Amino acid sequence: MTGTEEGKLITQVAQGNESAFLAIYDRYASRVHGLTLHILGDPMLAEEATQDTFLKIWSRAREYLAERGPFLPWLLTIARRVALDRLRLEARRPLLSDSNDPEDAWQILPELESLSDESRWRSMYFAVQSLHPDQRKVIELAYYQGMSQSEIAEVLGWPLGTVKTRLRAALEKLREAWNEK
Amino acid sequence: MARDEHLPHLENIPAYAIGALDAEDVAALEAHLKTCASCRTELAGYRALNDSLLMAVPPRQPSAALRKRLQSRLPGAQRTARPQWSWSFSRMAVGASLILLLVMNVYSILQMRALQLEQTRLNRQIRTGQTVMSMLSYPATERLSINSDKVVGSLLVDKERDIVALIVWNMPQLSENETYQIWLIDPQGDRVSAGVFSPESDQAYTTQVVYPKQSLVDFTGVGVTVEPAGGSEKPTGERLFKVDF
Repeated sequence: MTGTEEGKLITQVAQGNESAFLAIYDRYASRVHGLTLHILGDPMLAEEATQDTFLKIWSRAREYLAERGPFLPWLLTIARRVALDRLRLEARRPLLSDSNDPEDAWQILPELESLSDESRWRSMYFAVQSLHPDQRKVIELAYYQGMSQSEIAEVLGWPLGTVKTRLRAALEKLREAWNEK
Repeated sequence: MARDEHLPHLENIPAYAIGALDAEDVAALEAHLKTCASCRTELAGYRALNDSLLMAVPPRQPSAALRKRLQSRLPGAQRTARPQWSWSFSRMAVGASLILLLVMNVYSILQMRALQLEQTRLNRQIRTGQTVMSMLSYPATERLSINSDKVVGSLLVDKERDIVALIVWNMPQLSENETYQIWLIDPQGDRVSAGVFSPESDQAYTTQVVYPKQSLVDFTGVGVTVEPAGGSEKPTGERLFKVDF
């Protein structure tokens, strides 16, 4: 699907076209669900968050502005917020280890039409996985669990300064990886 | 701006970019960002990481049921998979069917009503015929001739049971606004109404039975006149015949 075709579909979704909405869903449901499942760690909660995300897209598609950036990051940003809100609502303690086996994830990947999308997410996946475990842990809590540095320090029992240093180092490495791609 | 002044803020930019900076540090950094272009540039570089972290999660396919559930919860969706004309055609077909059904129901009701009226008329005709037959066979019944310039027939009078029967041939048909009215005539010549009737349309003679409220001994004759539909209190129209008994 080209950017133009995608743009037309989103315009149609904004006009209440169900077929266009389902085409968008079919293309991105696995990306949204992958993110909500990673954040919430519970398949049932993750499906509810995925559903809420697409319902928001249905009612807010007209707010998407193509000139401000691609559709997928916008969609995933909404999905992240929905999942983090749900996480706070459930008052769940953050998961400290990834319950999903990364190797298993490769086997269940759907076939992606866009090689650029596929290569993009795989490169960033590897960039995160290549971080030092302590750095990966702070990234996990800060970005995927929505915690502040002080909350991370409290949960992990680390000094606040250590958390800041490890988070900064992790983000610096990811930025380098991002710029190299 | 000296690097020493930047440093505390610069160190907070990565955490701020992904929303992990503590609330008490946010205000100070945002105030600094308003006056420092290099820190804004630094922030923009880290902000791009948001996209990369969103992308760094393996896709997972949700259950097939989610798609159906989502589809059923879309408010105000335009389900235009079928062409508009087919929907319109369906609506027209349903509308036409309803109208046809309504017409058939009205027609059936009218038919039923007509049949009920015909049945009532035939029942009355049978009862009247049976009454006339029984009066003819009764010894006390007096049979008188009706012989006017308009009609002929017979008048049966049973003063013991207070029954009068008219058998009149070739009664002229009346307009919708007219009716025949029977009068009982007392010795003073006053008329008392004994009912209204219409001539039979499917046979040459008309039979009518009268059950007076008073005894027939109070009367001396019977007459029939043409009156407005519904009848009159006293005779007002043309007389068809008069018979004394």
